[in-house]
Amino acid sequence: MELLFQFLANTGYWLADYRQIIMIVVGSVFVYLGTAKKYEPLLLVPIGFGILVGNIPFFKGFGLGIYEPNSVLHYLYFGVTTGLYPSIIFLGLGAMTDFSSLLARPILMLLGAAAQMGIFFTLLSALALGFLPKEAASIAIIGGADGPTSIFLTAKLAPHLIGPIAIAAYSYMALIPVIQPPIMRLLTTRKERLIRMQELRAVPKKELVIFPTIAVLLCCFLAPASIPLLGMFFFGNFLKECGVTDRLAQTARTAIIDTATILLGLTVGASTQGDVFLTPKSLGIFLLGAVAFSIATASGIIFAKIMNLFLKEKINPLLGASGVSAVPGSAREVHLMGQSEDPENYLLMHAMACNSSGVIGSAICAGVLWSFLLA
Amino acid sequence: MYGFKAISYYNGWAMALTGALIVFAGLVVLSTTIYIFPKILMLWEKRQIKYKMPIEVEPEEQQALSLPKQFPSDINEIANLYKPLIEELGETFYLTDLYEISKKYDFPHPHITLAAFRDSEILIPHGKGVFTWNQPEDNEKE
Repeated sequence: MELLFQFLANTGYWLADYRQIIMIVVGSVFVYLGTAKKYEPLLLVPIGFGILVGNIPFFKGFGLGIYEPNSVLHYLYFGVTTGLYPSIIFLGLGAMTDFSSLLARPILMLLGAAAQMGIFFTLLSALALGFLPKEAASIAIIGGADGPTSIFLTAKLAPHLIGPIAIAAYSYMALIPVIQPPIMRLLTTRKERLIRMQELRAVPKKELVIFPTIAVLLCCFLAPASIPLLGMFFFGNFLKECGVTDRLAQTARTAIIDTATILLGLTVGASTQGDVFLTPKSLGIFLLGAVAFSIATASGIIFAKIMNLFLKEKINPLLGASGVSAVPGSAREVHLMGQSEDPENYLLMHAMACNSSGVIGSAICAGVLWSFLLA
Repeated sequence: MYGFKAISYYNGWAMALTGALIVFAGLVVLSTTIYIFPKILMLWEKRQIKYKMPIEVEPEEQQALSLPKQFPSDINEIANLYKPLIEELGETFYLTDLYEISKKYDFPHPHITLAAFRDSEILIPHGKGVFTWNQPEDNEKE
């Protein structure tokens, strides 16, 4: 009988804490949104399931939890805390990215730069709310709307905040269809939304092959701390474009990125153990994340409007919203918004150009912030 | 510490301003490089041609298609103009090939037209970018 009681006392039912129950509900919502509503399922399903796994109550000291040394989850989490998974994801992302629209219309790159202003505004807001500089920088990078970059920088600067920051970053990425359209409508007139973009020129293969080499040198010389992200990103793109490593590019954009995404999603989800995650700081991070994302969207749109004051050939300001690096979610939203006003207005390729420059911009931001706070 | 005091204490203003300037400068340099890139490539290619022996080039095959000056607005009439291209590509073809060939023959706005073909089910997708042509017989030109 005593043995039975001892066993029961070690079960999850007995050890359950209200915070774990709350997190299990949150995890279930993520899984529901990913599977039933199809909101970013490739991200929300692994993270949601990871939240369920990470919040199952267990007897501490058995080497089971993600924060316990020698546990399997702890070893898998190593890829997050060292920034390994984000780098691998960037390799695959590079092998997927087509820069032809960006090369055809380089001026759109400025919108990718403008959308990063949300990061710096949030940095100031987080400092004002009492976060320490390294924490503030990690929170601010959510404004880049780039999950792997947020995790990478947080792993380097404020590893204790990886859980809430990753969850906030990915949640807002999944909520793009909810967050961005009202801001786009608010900041643009119908006339502006109807602006048609000129057809893009065909980019010769030579340009596509040389671009990643030049870009990696220019960007990484400027911000060497972004080498783990941009080095891998442009390497992946070179594999895709050079024409002699198709097999490697194919593996990078399928098996490799998928493996990294699964492990990253699951372990980030599992790192949100109720007792560690449910703190006032996490609430602050979520609020600031929303601010960062909204300001990033708004600053891209406003900058496009400013550019239109000087340009002979006007840019559709909706494109500014795709300067955040949520690929391809924000580009899709811009395209849909453009089509809702004029069904024959095709903004997708132009929006993808801004999107890919947003990826480069947020990785440079991460490198710059890391180098500022290295000491 | 909170508010402006915290921002000043942790050098926040300088960090934000310098950071924003660096990121902007980086992307401006990159976009300028991309902008001048085709021109440099063109100069390089011209230079190469200059130093190469002239080789006899076979005259390019004349364009077999003559497009009307006023492009029709009806989707089926446009589809009739695309018919010779489909015949050239074969029964099944990649959409990218159709796009390339329509650009080669100077069809106006091919991506919009191809999207319209897809919407009106004249182009039938078979996965992995492979398509077949499905223009009803009675809509074809006699």
